[in-house]
Order: sequence, then C-alpha cells, then structure tokens
Amino acid sequence: MKYEVYKDIGVTDDFSLFEFFSKGKNGAILKRVTFTRTEDGRIYNLAFGDVDETDDLDDYVVTDNGDRNKVLATVAFIVEAYTRRFPDRWIIFRGSTQERLRLYRMAVGLHLEELSVLYEIWALGDAGIVEFCKNMKINAFLIRRKKS
Amino acid sequence: MKRVTKYKSELTGTEVTFTVSEKLNKLKGKVLAPKKLAEANELLRKLKTPLPK
Repeated sequence: MKYEVYKDIGVTDDFSLFEFFSKGKNGAILKRVTFTRTEDGRIYNLAFGDVDETDDLDDYVVTDNGDRNKVLATVAFIVEAYTRRFPDRWIIFRGSTQERLRLYRMAVGLHLEELSVLYEIWALGDAGIVEFCKNMKINAFLIRRKKS
Repeated sequence: MKRVTKYKSELTGTEVTFTVSEKLNKLKGKVLAPKKLAEANELLRKLKTPLPK
C-alpha cells in the first residue's frame, strides 16, 4: 500500500480534530476529520468531510477534486496516528451514503492483508459484529489497534 | 511557538507533519457531525453482540 498523502496536517492538542487541504483541479479545499466519543465510551465515531462556509463539517458534499486516493490515504494516515496515541479506543466509521460505504469497503478489502497487520477489522452487520472479509455486506466498520 | 510532531507510518514509512492549530483547538468539544454521531449511536444501540475482547 503506497499512496501519496498530504503531508501538512493541522491537529488539536487532544487529537480529536484534524485538518488538511486537498489540492486538485477545483483548487484547495479544506478537509476535516473528527473523532467523537459515542454513547459507548469505548468507541469513537470517525467523521470526515469538507469544511463549509459556516466552519461546519459537510460529509455529504461531492468535491470531485481529482485526488480521491490521496485524500483517503491521508485519512488512513490520520487513523493510524490516532490509534497509535489511543490504542485502546475502537473507531466506528461508515460512509455518509451507500456509495461511500461501498468505496470504503472496497478500499479496506483491497488492502485487508496489510491493514490486518496493524488493526483488528470488524464489521457491523445485521448479524452483529463479525470479522470483516472482502465483499461482505456491512453497515459500518469497527476497528482497533492490535495488541502488540 | 508552533507545536509540531512528525509521524512516520508503520505501514508505508511515509512521514507527515502534524501541527497543533489554535484555531482548531477552539473547536474542541463541539460535535461537528451530529447526524453521523447520532447514526453511529443508533447502530451501536441495536447491537446484539458485545464488543470483541
């Protein structure tokens, strides 16, 4: 797995928020990644999207900036850094639309072997929590750092 | 003074610079994607199986 990533990332001191610029055919677009504690205090929700004009996170917008893989690789890098700092936290994520969930499923499936070196990768499906395998129908991902 | 940390990926070896942003620090604690968080909580509430050990 060797994709380009955006190498300058802004962060809060508690690692709950990250920002970087996507630079592509539509110009520089500010992206934001957040980790928010869910009602189950062991699990943090990953949200990701563009920063809109009111400084809110818009995770439905289609940016089409021509750098999708670089943006996804940057988000994956942020997850790696976050889970290095908080190895006991579970991360839940899914797409804001079915198309995005399918994209994430494909991306994780494509790199499952490498990602499994670092993470436990589970799927939330209708049957509950099961180990993720390629092409599985899921509602969300649930991941955590493997214990070293 | 800027607070900068360099991270090297364990998966790819790529190095990235993280800079603490005072602008972002002001947003700490604010739920920035409330709908997505609500959906995650809803999914987790419906779970019939416990988290893996």
